Amino acid sequence: MAKKDEKIEYVKNGKRLDGRKVDEIRPLKMEVGVLPNADGSAYLEWGQNKVLVGVHGPKEALPKHKQNPYKGLVRFTYRMASFSVPDRKNPRPGRRESEISKVSGEALEKAIFLERFPNCAIDIYVEIFDSNAGSRAAGITAASLALADAGIPMKDLVAAVGVGKAGGEIILDLNKNEEDAPDAVDIPIAIMPRTEEITLLQMDGLLTKPEWSKAVKLGIQGCKQVYEVQKEALRKKFAEAEKGK
Amino acid sequence: MENKKEEKAMLKEAKPVSKETKAEEKPMPKEGKAEHKAKKIVIPGDLIAEGRKKLGQHVFIEDGKIFSDTLGISYPNSETAYVVPLSGIYMPQRDDLIVGIVERETVKGYMVNINSIYSCYLSADKCRDRLEKGSIVSAKIDSVNEMNEADLFDVRVFYGGTIIRVVPAKVPRMIGKNGSMLAVLKEGTGCSILVGRNGWVWTKGGDSKKLAEAIDLIESEAHLNNLTVKVEAFLKGKKVNE
Repeated sequence: MAKKDEKIEYVKNGKRLDGRKVDEIRPLKMEVGVLPNADGSAYLEWGQNKVLVGVHGPKEALPKHKQNPYKGLVRFTYRMASFSVPDRKNPRPGRRESEISKVSGEALEKAIFLERFPNCAIDIYVEIFDSNAGSRAAGITAASLALADAGIPMKDLVAAVGVGKAGGEIILDLNKNEEDAPDAVDIPIAIMPRTEEITLLQMDGLLTKPEWSKAVKLGIQGCKQVYEVQKEALRKKFAEAEKGK
Repeated sequence: MENKKEEKAMLKEAKPVSKETKAEEKPMPKEGKAEHKAKKIVIPGDLIAEGRKKLGQHVFIEDGKIFSDTLGISYPNSETAYVVPLSGIYMPQRDDLIVGIVERETVKGYMVNINSIYSCYLSADKCRDRLEKGSIVSAKIDSVNEMNEADLFDVRVFYGGTIIRVVPAKVPRMIGKNGSMLAVLKEGTGCSILVGRNGWVWTKGGDSKKLAEAIDLIESEAHLNNLTVKVEAFLKGKKVNE
């Protein structure tokens, strides 16, 4: 760890502390259909992040007063395991979890044809087993895969990535070290890659206008990288059976 | 008279075409039709066609282009733009034959679980026997409302037997063309089989273990060609994967 007043160079000769380039995401691995008892499921490893998602439904939305006769309901549950961070995390859902569940559910809602499921609910359970910055992006990415695996009609997949600033440089897919930089800015961004519609955009920290436009551009480019891996993971499901013949 | 002439002329025209298609299909096995149709694996949001086409299931239009809304297989050369899904919950449709389980009894009828979003109400007047919780019935779907709730008719009750669950999207492969796969399964295992469109398969008697294995095979390779031949070989005891 660096001393308090020591200045860390987060980007040196175009490379970051962990050897990545400025516009490079961490190694990403996805797998679809891992839970036999869920309608759709996905497992994702993104750098140190490990996420397991199960999708149930569409099913009747209960309690009944939550039903909407015009469209279905997306119930997104983001949960961090108590062992997912270096210090034990209190397993009780807190402010942060509720907020992430809400915004992530809304990010996915835009892609689903909910009007085909009146009075119904789609349950998405996202379990974070290991977390190292960017877990909500990982959760959304994996959840959209699980939704596709469950056969729920969607306009497009949703791909998400974190983008931000550390040490004065705009970088893609921050890890925990970079997120803890003194001038850190963190922008999780989720898009539907085909139309580049943004479905989630949050920010904490301060950016100048040119920095902001650069960051969003980089974020969209990062999402497209993630999208390629998502497509591959879904197609792999077919390919495996084809190999077996 | 004119109409008849037209018809005859049309028949004459139609004949050589059908001959050609037959010649094409000849060397291919029973289910080989899909082979000369190019297949494409699509994911939600993938482009199916740019121009105008007849619309089938699991597609949507945006900016005049046709996109897939699900993970499945599309046939780019076909006249209709449609996607055969790989997974998904059963959505009741009119005239579907389904297998259901009685969930509970109400005052004047029963609630029947049909493996869909909602259970169906079945009036006691429509069935001759008194049903119990757990009774297995088959029925046809009379109508479906805008909330995907279905009404049943043509109810039959089954005594004994078990239910095997398959993914509803793969039921057409379980039946095959004109019931070819079903005939192979019945012959190979000696089971009585009724395949519900909702993904529940009622079976009784015969070699049920072998049937379950054969159904597993169909499920895992539902998107591949020549499945009937493969299943036939499997039921005759040959090794499939070699």
